[in-house]
Amino acid sequence: MKRVNTLFSFLVLFSLLLAACGGGAAGGGEAKEFVTSSGFVCPPPDPKLEVTSKQLNLFVWTEYLPTEWKECFTLVYGVQVNHDEYSSNEEMYAKLSAGGSNYDLVQPTDYIVSLMIKQGLIQKLDKSRLQAVFANMDANYMNLEFDPNNDYTLPYQAGTDALIYNADKVQNPPKRWADLWNPEYAGRMVFLDDSRIVIGMTLITLGYDPNTTDPAQLNEAKEKLKELVPRVKLFDSDSPKTALIAGDVDLGLTWTGEAFIANQEVPSITYVYPEEGAILWQDNWAIVANAPNLDAAYAWLNYTMQPNLFWLMLRDFPYINPNKGALEFAKANHPDLYEPYINSPITNPPQEAIEKGHRIKDVGEALPLYDQIWTEIKGGQ
Amino acid sequence: MLQRLREDKALQGLLLIAPTLLWMIVLLIIPLILTLVVSFGRRAPDGGVIFTFTLDNYIRLLGLQPDCLNPFACFDPLYVSILFRSLSLAFNTTVIVILLAYPLAYFIARAPHERRNTFLFLVLVPLWTNFVIRVYAWMMLLRTQGAINGVLGWLAGLLGIPFTPLEMLYTPGAVLVGMVYEFLPFMILPIYTSLEKIDPSLYEAAADLGANALKTFWRVTLPLSLPGVVAGTILVFVPVMGTFVVSDLLGGKQVILVGNLIQRQFLDARDPTFGSAASLVLMVLTLIVTLFYTRKFGFGKEIVV
Repeated sequence: MKRVNTLFSFLVLFSLLLAACGGGAAGGGEAKEFVTSSGFVCPPPDPKLEVTSKQLNLFVWTEYLPTEWKECFTLVYGVQVNHDEYSSNEEMYAKLSAGGSNYDLVQPTDYIVSLMIKQGLIQKLDKSRLQAVFANMDANYMNLEFDPNNDYTLPYQAGTDALIYNADKVQNPPKRWADLWNPEYAGRMVFLDDSRIVIGMTLITLGYDPNTTDPAQLNEAKEKLKELVPRVKLFDSDSPKTALIAGDVDLGLTWTGEAFIANQEVPSITYVYPEEGAILWQDNWAIVANAPNLDAAYAWLNYTMQPNLFWLMLRDFPYINPNKGALEFAKANHPDLYEPYINSPITNPPQEAIEKGHRIKDVGEALPLYDQIWTEIKGGQ
Repeated sequence: MLQRLREDKALQGLLLIAPTLLWMIVLLIIPLILTLVVSFGRRAPDGGVIFTFTLDNYIRLLGLQPDCLNPFACFDPLYVSILFRSLSLAFNTTVIVILLAYPLAYFIARAPHERRNTFLFLVLVPLWTNFVIRVYAWMMLLRTQGAINGVLGWLAGLLGIPFTPLEMLYTPGAVLVGMVYEFLPFMILPIYTSLEKIDPSLYEAAADLGANALKTFWRVTLPLSLPGVVAGTILVFVPVMGTFVVSDLLGGKQVILVGNLIQRQFLDARDPTFGSAASLVLMVLTLIVTLFYTRKFGFGKEIVV
């Protein structure tokens, strides 16, 4: 008897589940205005494209999409949006080059874009289907060296890697990358756990190109880093702001978004562009070579990059926003978000900092050399 | 057909193990062979694999260079020292875990019957929460402005002693604490099982023959519980060798262990050939240590887990 009861309750549960799923699909029907579960009113798509695909598969950075986008896109186009996340370009590259994935859109960072183009992992954009998007873009973030004509990519977010310190605790704040070697800072620093950025910063300090493949220069950087690494208390690329805010460390090397949030929480946490030049980076949208849902991919790019949707990035992910139209929209409609964004040197860096900046590029065959240095400086204790 | 199945014991056995066997072949044996093949290959400039037969990856791991004739002149201890560091961390963790787990297991095994299940339940409760979340909880405790320093500071304030917060998080000590915490239950359970199985009449016999408590423990209890210690050691030592989450989160990633080394080859360095060679060396090394250990101390007459 007991067993029958269990079976019965399972059946009930199962049918309830089925009903719930069915209800979801049937909903969103004829209503002209679409509202998300959080109460956000989805703006109408402009232009509205012809979409026959039923799905769209995104492969994106962790914590990098405003939640409303997916819901609105599904409501407006009737396309189910699936998304997987990665936490490093290398991870994304490894997965795509292994083949067998069915992703439509990815978000590669500058240096990996050139490699992906070379490997044929991403396809050329059909610019005639993206005219409205191109018109919204700030020219400063277009036609960069990794994709000279934007034939393959659209800028998504940009940022910098620079110095950060808590002014309440550091009497003698760093002004240059070279200052990190100051013995006063020993045991008080947080660095990004990123071999290219840390070795690149050291090469810049030595006056070399951060993308050098010259073994002699790399060797010099290795010797210099051997001094520094034992003084670093923490390497963290996931959330370096946490240790700064919690007071475990007082200064270090981090990127835009983390710095902006840390500064909002603890105003004495200050971000400085080093005199030798910060490291600049840019994340981009790209369409995967064998994207199964091409029409949905173009519709997604057109829709989410509309100013009246892209402004959500200012609210959720305060990096440097290359979408000029979205900034204008925010200025007119959401001054509470626009003002802190435009007045902060973190999200709106001075022109001089951009001009002096360096970019990380793919170093091809020299990559194992960089990794060996990294292993050696972190393993040699 | 059905008739044959009813009679043929061998066929029944095969059918019963078939799902697991299939699982092991597809997800263990085949990947292992692939790893072996890749480890003899060469890295392509884009991070792919050129299939060939070269021992370069293994030579590099040993700290030598392929075309270097004098092994003493060009020996680079980098990777050997990383392996050695992982080994010594695993060794230290295992020793501390045994020292902590044995008395506790002894206490539980000697407790009244009706309480034993409660105690065992309490040992298992932490495992209900995800491993990484528990490590994050340790971060909260060990922070410079964390819970432990908060309590110590409050006590010092009560007593009027000046107090500077202790630096505990992101130190080697924090890594050891995290490892010991994480793997303690895997030692307690096997030791408990073997202690609990000891026939109480053996203690009576020892007492009748004039052994005192210490001697009884040394001559009777300890040898009979050794299989539990051996099983526990393997359950602790082997995973600690390959793990890197605890050392990354509590140690601040300043130090590379062999687990990090392997993971970095597949993602950051895009050198799967070297990564495969390193994984195989780790596997063989762990196997040798385990075999040596079980040969030396034995599993006893039966394997107790």
